[in-house]
Amino acid sequence: MNDLAQTTAAPIVSARGLKKHFGRTEILHGLDFDIPAGRIYGLVGHNGAGKTTTLNALLGLTSYEGTVRVLGEDPYQKRASLMKNVAFISDVASLPRFLRVRELFALLTNIHPNFDQAKARGFLEGTDVKMEARIKNLSKGMIAQLHLAVVMAIDAKLLVLDEPTLGLDITYRKRFYRRLLEDYMTEERTLLITTHQVDEIEFMLSDIMFIRDGELILHMQMETVSSKFSQVLVRADQVAAATALGPIYSETRFGQTAMVFDGVDRDELAQFGDVTTPTLSDLFVALMQRGPAK
Amino acid sequence: MSQFNDSQPIFVQIGERIADMILSKTTKEGEALPSVRQISADLSVNPLTVTRAYQSLVDIGVVESRRGMGMFVAEGGHQRLLAHERQKFLTEEWPRVMARLAALDLDPTLLLKQGGKDE
Repeated sequence: MNDLAQTTAAPIVSARGLKKHFGRTEILHGLDFDIPAGRIYGLVGHNGAGKTTTLNALLGLTSYEGTVRVLGEDPYQKRASLMKNVAFISDVASLPRFLRVRELFALLTNIHPNFDQAKARGFLEGTDVKMEARIKNLSKGMIAQLHLAVVMAIDAKLLVLDEPTLGLDITYRKRFYRRLLEDYMTEERTLLITTHQVDEIEFMLSDIMFIRDGELILHMQMETVSSKFSQVLVRADQVAAATALGPIYSETRFGQTAMVFDGVDRDELAQFGDVTTPTLSDLFVALMQRGPAK
Repeated sequence: MSQFNDSQPIFVQIGERIADMILSKTTKEGEALPSVRQISADLSVNPLTVTRAYQSLVDIGVVESRRGMGMFVAEGGHQRLLAHERQKFLTEEWPRVMARLAALDLDPTLLLKQGGKDE
């Protein structure tokens, strides 16, 4: 039992000085982070900030400098064995288009030791994805459902989702995340998600990472985010006084000024206007414009 | 779009909703409450947030966590919750109500009397 406790206490993912060069250009400038088990991580950044490169390094899909351990192993050296316990959906989701769903499941049963075909079929019950359908004839939403059914039927400890709901309508997006919470998430499992629709999954997340130009500029538990950052709708006559407290971001719209503060006491801010916790997208905008983090 | 308000932590808001189910006797003592997983999926919130909401009710003896079975309304939980909520109302909300009445120059005794007549 002690051993088990120790295994769960070790981080699922750990990166130290993670760097990546494409030619002479350095894309990732040395990332350090740990991802513990049982958590739902959001990785947010602009296009080209290095999100997918980071994920690819964790998945062993690209070489890198520095140290990366996923479930205790080097993902680039041990990719094949790691894939028993790691599943992912990439933003360029590709399932063999010429296969039927039934054939895909048969193929996976043959090549993946942890793929549970009965589970995958179960996940597709009640959806429009039929076993005899060819993948190329499925709609975008149905392919996402199929892909999710496949990765959830792999008994993976780490599930990495790179823009999993890109191009899906709101109904499919909601259904997708509902499925994940209902059927995948447990205390032993870990989820790492990138998405541009961050407000939709804000409350699902336990932790958030913002990446900007190949650097982690925020890595924090969501609970800490809400105690550290506050947003105030400042009344017009209070703008000067509020500005004196050093907001990290300020924006005026329709004569109303919204300011974001980092580590300023909420009681002190309340005199200027209504204090709330910024949404992740507001916080993202605020931090992206801030000078380089020291 | 959000089903939560911005001014209170989500776990507090979820805790209040569970408390409402118990106060209104939608779920009676000894009965099972919705699972962490179900609430998490229904509201698209992190399971740890739901666990924390339940924990606050476990701490005051209103909810009982049965290993491997889920969450149940504790025996005597309804009374304990009622006492807790009354106390919270009297210390947090009532002073605000009184201050508001005073600010609007309203007489609470008169209001109560008129309310009784109107019903």
